[in-house]
Amino acid sequence: MINIYIILTTSTNLLVGMTNLLSLGQAALYGIGAYLAVLAMMVLNLSFIPTLIFVIIGTSLLSLLIAYPSLRLRGDYFVLATLGFQLIVFTILYNWVDVTRGPYGIPGIPSPILFGDIVITGIIPYLILSSILAVGVVSLFFKLIYSPFGRALKAVRDDELSAEAIGRNVTALKIWAFVVSSGFIGISGLLYASYVSYIDPTSFNLDEAIFILSAVIIGGTGNIKGPIIGAVFVVILPELLRFVGLPDSVAANLRQIIYGLMIIILMRLRPQGLAGEYALR
Amino acid sequence: MNSDTILIIDSIRKSFVRNIVNIRGKDEDEKFYVLEDIDLILPAGKITALIGGNGTGKTTLFNIISGFFKADEGKIEFKPNGSLIELTNLSAYKRAQLGIGRMFQDNHIFQNMTVLENMLVADENFFGERPFQSIIYYRKNNNVEKERIEKAEKIFIDLFGEDNPFLNMKNEKAKNLSYGQQRLLGLARLLMGNYKLLLLDEPTSGVNPVIIEKIKAIINYFVENKNMTVFLIEHNMKFVLDVADFCHFMSKGIIAVSGTPEDIIGNPDVRKTYLGI
Ligand SMILES: Nc1ncnc2c1ncn2[C@@H]1O[C@H](COP(=O)(O)OP(=O)(O)O)[C@@H](O)[C@H]1O
Ligand SMILES: [Mg+2]
Repeated sequence: MINIYIILTTSTNLLVGMTNLLSLGQAALYGIGAYLAVLAMMVLNLSFIPTLIFVIIGTSLLSLLIAYPSLRLRGDYFVLATLGFQLIVFTILYNWVDVTRGPYGIPGIPSPILFGDIVITGIIPYLILSSILAVGVVSLFFKLIYSPFGRALKAVRDDELSAEAIGRNVTALKIWAFVVSSGFIGISGLLYASYVSYIDPTSFNLDEAIFILSAVIIGGTGNIKGPIIGAVFVVILPELLRFVGLPDSVAANLRQIIYGLMIIILMRLRPQGLAGEYALR
Repeated sequence: MNSDTILIIDSIRKSFVRNIVNIRGKDEDEKFYVLEDIDLILPAGKITALIGGNGTGKTTLFNIISGFFKADEGKIEFKPNGSLIELTNLSAYKRAQLGIGRMFQDNHIFQNMTVLENMLVADENFFGERPFQSIIYYRKNNNVEKERIEKAEKIFIDLFGEDNPFLNMKNEKAKNLSYGQQRLLGLARLLMGNYKLLLLDEPTSGVNPVIIEKIKAIINYFVENKNMTVFLIEHNMKFVLDVADFCHFMSKGIIAVSGTPEDIIGNPDVRKTYLGI
């Protein structure tokens, strides 16, 4: 799970920390990735690598549906548009029973098969596979945020007007950021689907979208280590609470409260998050 | 229109809508014209100043030239290299790419980026700004980056000498610079682009006399060494007298008086309504 969240937060950082785009639609894209993975593996019978490519491209393309119209909106209106997208995708996944089986979910998702015959089952092989993907995604984003592309995004983040005044097409840069970020979020959907072997829409609801955003904000934005620390934190905290012996029902609520408090306290004292570089305003 | 013209502003009108409480105490939207009818021709390679009281629409005119606002009527034509380009339907970033540079009234530099990044991001060469370009063309990207850095450092040295705060602080965030230094960085950044015409909105406001002298030198450098044309909004009349070749006085939505800075200062209307002497 930790690797899945690292991919989610690292990709989301490209929007939140690099471009100042607060998206509430990240869980929808995560879900789209997962359902596309199921489509690729169970219907098209693709093996892992083609599935991976299918999911990345598919999720990026579908993200254009929201990116194109909403990125012309500024500030809060963009946040609301992504909220709308999140709700619409959830509703479709939930109600289009013929295709997604809606609330019944999809069971029996196969384990990843590599190179024709290596089946990735069990915790350790899966951990290795997901770690390789997470490291790959993180290094790619490392390259991206320190490239001229990342620099142009930072300019958009700091001052859209000036970015335009130096000849940069702000809308195009935002769309690129959104589409690239979404493509890689698709990978976490794929990993999730094949890890738990069963998906239903509730894993990709608004709560999850807020959860992803919280992880990014707690860890910190604008660099590479912030989102990773955020992901580690939100995945480890429940384990920690279980470790100190709290019953699950208490722990679940306590966890939410801790996240909430963390965000409030951080926003006051350390708006760049635990390890981030960029202070959200 | 002669061959030395770089910008033609032709019958520009611009209104805004303001919300007022009318005589019966109801809210009402009222349209009011900030720019009634602006005609202006900018000679190439010269420094032209625009003066006028607060709120007369000087910044609005700049925003129309750079494409941040749309005029209600009229057109603007730009002549960067011989041929006339009608700007009306071009977006702001395209006008910048054509060669219209802009410095805003407040510094508007990229606060959370380093001093050097502020320069590099403004380069006229966009290579590497598509997501995977810099990864796929790794070597070319490295070379372009190296050129960019050399170019930026050379600009700092040309403008501020070998030992200057910008080189010394190049890896610090721009927000750590003083307000005056940020203004100078904003001006230096204009040299990264390939601009023919610069629009400078109150370049001397809020900075001390030492910085003002530097700004004067930089503006002269733009025109004399880089063949650029400068159009600036200014309240500091001494500065206008020192740097500008031509001056226009804006009042009540039109260009009321035009001439050399000396003419303008000597004009009785300007003295009465604007300078208050
Ligand atoms: N975006 C806008 N919306 C509504 N009114 C505006 C806008 N921008 C400027 N104005 C109005 O236009 C007038 C001229 O403003 P401006 O061009 O900034 O003046 P100047 O730069 O000459 O001081 C002011 O009355 C201002 O309130
Ligand atoms: Mg103004």
